[in-house]
Amino acid sequence: MAKKTYDLLFKLLLIGDSGVGKTCILFRFSDNHFTTTFISTIGIDFKIKTVELRGKKIKLQIWDTAGQERFHTITTSYYRGAMGIMLVYDITNEKTFDDIVKWLRNIDEHANEDVEKMILGNKCDMEEKRVVSKERGEAIAREHGIRFMETSAKANINIDRAFSELAEAILDKTAGRDADADHARIAVERRPSRAPPARACCS
Amino acid sequence: MSLHKARIKAFEDILNKDVIDFDQLRKLAFNGIPDEKGLRSVVWKILLHYIPHEKDARESTLKKKRQLYLQFIDEIIVTPGGDADHPLNISPDSSWSTYFKDNEVLLQIDKDVRRLCPEISFFQSATEFPCEKVVNSNGMKRLHKRVEQSVLKYATLERRGLGVAKLSSEIRRSDSLTSGDYVPLNEGCEAHWEVVERMLFLYAKLNPGQGYVQGMNEIIGPIYHTFANDADKDNREHAEADCFFSFTNLMSEIRDFFIRTLDETESGINYMMDRLGSCLRSHDPAVWDRLELQELRPQYYSFRWLTLLLSQEFSLPDVERIWDSLFADEKRFNFLIYICCAMILLVRENLLNGDFASNVKLLQNFPPMDVSLILNKAAEIASA
Repeated sequence: MAKKTYDLLFKLLLIGDSGVGKTCILFRFSDNHFTTTFISTIGIDFKIKTVELRGKKIKLQIWDTAGQERFHTITTSYYRGAMGIMLVYDITNEKTFDDIVKWLRNIDEHANEDVEKMILGNKCDMEEKRVVSKERGEAIAREHGIRFMETSAKANINIDRAFSELAEAILDKTAGRDADADHARIAVERRPSRAPPARACCS
Repeated sequence: MSLHKARIKAFEDILNKDVIDFDQLRKLAFNGIPDEKGLRSVVWKILLHYIPHEKDARESTLKKKRQLYLQFIDEIIVTPGGDADHPLNISPDSSWSTYFKDNEVLLQIDKDVRRLCPEISFFQSATEFPCEKVVNSNGMKRLHKRVEQSVLKYATLERRGLGVAKLSSEIRRSDSLTSGDYVPLNEGCEAHWEVVERMLFLYAKLNPGQGYVQGMNEIIGPIYHTFANDADKDNREHAEADCFFSFTNLMSEIRDFFIRTLDETESGINYMMDRLGSCLRSHDPAVWDRLELQELRPQYYSFRWLTLLLSQEFSLPDVERIWDSLFADEKRFNFLIYICCAMILLVRENLLNGDFASNVKLLQNFPPMDVSLILNKAAEIASA
């Protein structure tokens, strides 16, 4: 058998209003760069990063979603498979913070019950434009029993930490499930390249 | 005569006829419109049914439409008010309540036009022909001003000596929501992204059932870029009006892709994705099986491909070349499906050998490739 490149696979999802910096957060985490020249995300985007936690190699499969309402049917279909969800708002934009409640409701409706959640107040480098205090962010997180952090993709504040904490929380839960994850992966790899006839003839 | 010159002449011959042979023009355009002499600009206008086939009627149509557009600006981009009306008026008919609602739409547009085609400098640069009514209005008709964030920073009361109080206050205004190079220009000038912002806002106001949906910026961008770079000065000057109506016509054909409640209908995006799936399955069952097995759903990549007519997958010149064929397609947008299918077939070896993650990445970041290779493959599929 080929050497394992990872021990566990975690699926994460980034959600939040348009323009709060979801793509920038992900880009900072996966490529350690920041750029303002991002086009808007249409539908859903995807990145992979492997991290090491407690001696385990964990492959993070991270889905970046479009913020606008129109894309919700497309994006909510990803909620179900997600093990961790990062809910992002922009500390310089009141509405994106108000909408947190809406996003939480979305998670309740579409995600697994035991999904790990985290709220991120992004753009915390822009102190002079801040309109949402850190205390308010903490308060809403506490109210819903969710982790909270202020981040800046631009200044690289708390980005790695946010992802590791979320991954660690999932790891705590999944500790006993290694075998299952492994099994699923091998099963996929061992499938013949042609689909079984039953699949081929259905339409 | 070189082959290229012969092509240009072939276009000119068709365009100079009293009545254009539309089928002939379509066939010619399908294989690409030359970049020279503003040909793409005029041919797109015809293919998108903005200007008539009759040569004589063109001038008057353009004049009428361009005038109408100015009227839209006058009537739609207005500051509310009036004797009995005020910002705190809670009546639903208050022009202020509409104004505030509009600003929510505008805020989304503003975010998106400031990140349109960042790989080229065009949209950040000044237009040669700013809209006079807007740029000389003391900021009154500047749309981005309406959604500019202003923050009341502080006000301090200073007292010096005997009772001389000085109130110093500072109101800071943020430059923009997104930092970067998309800064508004001074009075008298405007950047191309400001023009795009205005067109999208007018479109949203005139199509209230649909409003503005993210991605429309990526549809209007290439059209405006083409029109604003026309060889003819008069056409460049009216690029905004011409683009607005051509975009509106194009949207009338693809707007259902942008409407969530129509996703499942025959004109909706899910149906398009299904069609791409069947096309792939019949042309390359091995790849189709592979993607199915990996549970790599078409939504992961083709939602964006189809909704945006591939505008985010290629560089602007390539997008323009692809759109020549798309617009010239007799059954719009069948050929789009074939192009998407061709793209998948051209990376089939990678897909057959890649795991789920590398395959999603490959399809979401389609590798740079000679676009004629893709179009030829698509034509092959179309004729199969």
